[in-house]
Amino acid sequence: MSGPTAPREAVRLLTLDEESRLFLRLRATLVWETVRSMVVGSRLRLSLVVMLSGLFWGALYGLFVEAFSFLEALHADVISLLLNAFFSSLMVMLVFSTGILLYGGMYCSPEARLLLTLPVRAETVFAHKFREALWFASWGFVLLGSPMLVAYGVVREAAWPYYALLLPLMIAFVTIPAALGGIACLTLVAWMPRLRIHALSLAVAGCCLLAIWLGWSLVFQTRTDAMSTAWFERAFARLAITEQKLFPSWWLSSGLIEAARTQPSGRPSATGLAEAVKFLSLLLANSLVLLLLAGWLARIAYRKGYSHLAGEVPARRRRRAGLVDRLLIGSDAAVGRPLRLLLVKDLRLFRRDISQWSQFLIFFGLLGLYFFNLRSFNYHNAYASMIGFLNLAVVGLILSTFTTRFIYPMISLEGRRFWILGLLPVHRDQIVWSKFLFSFLGGVVPCAGLVFLSDSMLGLPWRLIALHEYCCLLLCLGLSGIAVGLGARMPELRESSPSKIASGFGGTLCLVLSSLFIMVVVVVAAIPTHLFLLARTLGPTVIAPDGLLAWAGGPMGMATSLATVTVAGLAATAVPLASGLQAFRRLEA
Amino acid sequence: MIEFDHVSRTYGLKTAVADLSLAIPRGELFALLGPNGAGKTTSIKMLVGLLHPSRGSIRICGHDVVADPRAAHLHVGYVPDEPCLYDKLTGREFLWFIADMFGMPRHLARGRIDREIECFELGEFADDLAESYSLGMKQRLVFAASLLHDPDVLVLDEPMVGLDPRSVRIVKDLLEARTSEGMTVFMSTHTLAMAEEMADRVGIMVRGQLRFLGTVTELREQVALEATSLEQLYLELTSPRGMRP
Repeated sequence: MSGPTAPREAVRLLTLDEESRLFLRLRATLVWETVRSMVVGSRLRLSLVVMLSGLFWGALYGLFVEAFSFLEALHADVISLLLNAFFSSLMVMLVFSTGILLYGGMYCSPEARLLLTLPVRAETVFAHKFREALWFASWGFVLLGSPMLVAYGVVREAAWPYYALLLPLMIAFVTIPAALGGIACLTLVAWMPRLRIHALSLAVAGCCLLAIWLGWSLVFQTRTDAMSTAWFERAFARLAITEQKLFPSWWLSSGLIEAARTQPSGRPSATGLAEAVKFLSLLLANSLVLLLLAGWLARIAYRKGYSHLAGEVPARRRRRAGLVDRLLIGSDAAVGRPLRLLLVKDLRLFRRDISQWSQFLIFFGLLGLYFFNLRSFNYHNAYASMIGFLNLAVVGLILSTFTTRFIYPMISLEGRRFWILGLLPVHRDQIVWSKFLFSFLGGVVPCAGLVFLSDSMLGLPWRLIALHEYCCLLLCLGLSGIAVGLGARMPELRESSPSKIASGFGGTLCLVLSSLFIMVVVVVAAIPTHLFLLARTLGPTVIAPDGLLAWAGGPMGMATSLATVTVAGLAATAVPLASGLQAFRRLEA
Repeated sequence: MIEFDHVSRTYGLKTAVADLSLAIPRGELFALLGPNGAGKTTSIKMLVGLLHPSRGSIRICGHDVVADPRAAHLHVGYVPDEPCLYDKLTGREFLWFIADMFGMPRHLARGRIDREIECFELGEFADDLAESYSLGMKQRLVFAASLLHDPDVLVLDEPMVGLDPRSVRIVKDLLEARTSEGMTVFMSTHTLAMAEEMADRVGIMVRGQLRFLGTVTELREQVALEATSLEQLYLELTSPRGMRP
C-alpha cells in the first residue's frame, strides 16, 4: 500500500478562521439575495409582513406597558416572577426547536450532503447550520420579547445602560438553550440513532405534562375566586419553581432587573450596572463554554452520526384502507364515483403526512384546551357573548392558516401530477370540487365542535349558539371557497414545495382575503347581538330606544346582519370557486 | 489512487456491500455496474465519506476517508446523482465558493472558473441565480465545480442523468482527456453503452458482491459468450442463474 499523496500545489486545506469567514460570506450572500428577491418579486408579501409585524410589535408594546404598570403598582417582585416564568419556558422551547431545526439542517438537507463531501471541518459545517437554526428558533423571541423588554424599561424609567445591555443579554441567553439543543441532537444521532425519536417523544411528553400540570394547578385551583388576591398568591407560589438561581433564565431576568435600576435622580445606578454586567458575563461565559463543547462534539460525532442516519433502512409500512375510505369507495354507485375516489386519495395523503395532521391536532387541541378552561372565569352575559364571537374569530383565523397552508397549494401540486389525472376519465371540475369538499368537510367538523365547546363553557343561550354555529358554517364554506378558488385561479405548477406555494403572492392574497372575510362575518354578526344584550343588561339609559343603535340591536338589525353574513359567506364561496373552475378548465399543463 | 480494503456495509440485518476489495490505479476510468439495490450507491457514498464502512477501510491517494476525510476530499471531485446547489447563488458565485473551499489562490481560481464555464458552455446563464436552472444546467454546473480544482479522483454517480446529447459528448471528451492526464474516474452507471465505450475496467455488483472485475474483453472470455454486447453479458451475469463469483 502506497503512502499518502500530497495534494496539488493549487489546493490546500483552509484554516479554521478561513473556513469560518468563507461560511459567513456565504450566509451574507444568501441572505442578501433572499431579501433582494423578496423586494423585487414579492413586494406585497414583504410589505404585509413588515406592516403586520410592526402592528403586532406596537400592540404587544402597548399591552406590556399596561401590564407592567398594573403589576408595578401591585408588587415589584411579581414582575421578576413573571420574567422568570417567561424566560424559563422560552429556554425549554428553544432547546427543542433548535435541536429539531439542527437535525433537519445537519442530517436531512441536500446542503449537508454537499458540504460533507468537501474538505471542510465537521465543526465548521455544524457552526454554519447552528447559526441558521439559532436564527429560525429565536426570531420569535425577538418579536415577542423585545416589545416586552422595552416596555419594562419604559415603565421602570430605566436609563441608557438597560437599553444598551438588552441585545447582548438576549443573544447570550438564547445561545445557551440553542447550544444545549445542538449537543442533544449530535449526541442522540451519533450514539443513540435508533432511540432518537423515542427520546425526543419522551422529553416532549415530559415537558407537556409539566406544562399541563402547572397550567391546571394555576387555573383550576378554585373557580370561585379567580383573579382575587388569594388566587394570585397561590398562582405565584406555583410559578416560584422557575426562580432557580442555576437557570440561565434567572441570570437573564436578574441582569435585566439590575440594568433597569436607577438612582432617585434618574441616573443609572452604578451597583445595578455592575450587577447587570456580572450577569451578562455569566451568560456569555456559559454560552461560550457550551458552544465550545458543541463544536468539539461536532468534530467527533457529526460525520459518524450522519453515516448512521444515512445507513438507516426506512421501515416498510403496509397501509390499509380506513373506515371512511371503505365507506367512500365501497359503494358501487356510479354517481360521484370519481369525486369520491379523489376525496379518498386526498384523505390518505393527509393521514400519511405527519406535518399536516400534527399541526392540525396541536392548534385545534390547544384551542380546545383553552375553551375548556373558560369555565374557570365568571363573565357578565354581554361580555360572554363578545368572548364567544372572539373565539369564533380565532377558530376562523386558525382554519384560514390551514386552508392557506395546505388547501391553497393542493391544485398546484395536483397540476404537477396532471399527466396522471389528465389520462383518467375525470372532468377537471371534479378535481376542484373534490378539493373544496375535502376542505369544507375537514374544517367544519372540528370547527363546529370547538365553537360549541366554547359557547357551552361560556354558558351562552341556545339562540346564540345556533347563530355562532351558522357563522362557523359560513366561515368554513367561504374559507374553503377562497383557498380552492384562488388555488385553481393561480396555480404554480413548477413549484413542488407546498410551503413555497403558500408563501407566494397567491398564498398571501388568500390569507389576506380570508382574514378580511372572517372580520366581516364576525363583526357584522356580533354588533347587533352585542348591542341587544348590552341594552338588555344596562337598560335604555345607555342606548336610546329610537336611535340607530337600538335599531341595530333590534329584530330588524339582527335580520339585516344575518342576511349580510349569509350573502358574504355565499359570495366568498361562489365567486372564487367559479373563477377558479373557469381558469382550471382552460389550464394547459 | 483508490483502494477498497475488505469493505463491508450493513443496513440493519441487510448487507449492502460485502467484503469489497478493489484497487484503481492512476489514470483509470472504472465503471461500476449492477442492478438497482446492488450496492453501487452505497459504495460511492462510502468512497466520498458520507457513509462509514461497517468493516474494512477506503483510501484515496493514501488518505483514509474515515480517519482523515478532509485530506482525502482535497483529492476528490464528486458529481452526485441529484445535483445540489444553493438556489440563491449564481452559477459563478457557486464556483467561487467551491474554489475558495479548496483554498485556491484568487488569480488561479478566476482562470479555472472561466475555463470550466467555457468548457461546459455555462456562459449564458453563469450569472443567473441557480433557482432558475433546469436539471441539465444544474448537472453541468456541478460537473464544472467538481473539476475546478483538477482533482486526482473524480467520483460520478449516474453522471449522464439530465444531460442533453451535446452535454453528454462534452463530458465524454472531457473524461477521456482528463484520464489521459492522470485523473482517476470512479463511475456508477446504468448506461452500459457508455461503460463499454469509455471504461478501462468494469465491475459488476450483484446483491452487494462484486461478481466480476476486469475489462469487457475479459468479461466476454469469462462468460464464454463471444461476440455478444456488454448488455447481453450484463444481463447474463446479473440474472438469478448468473455465474457465481
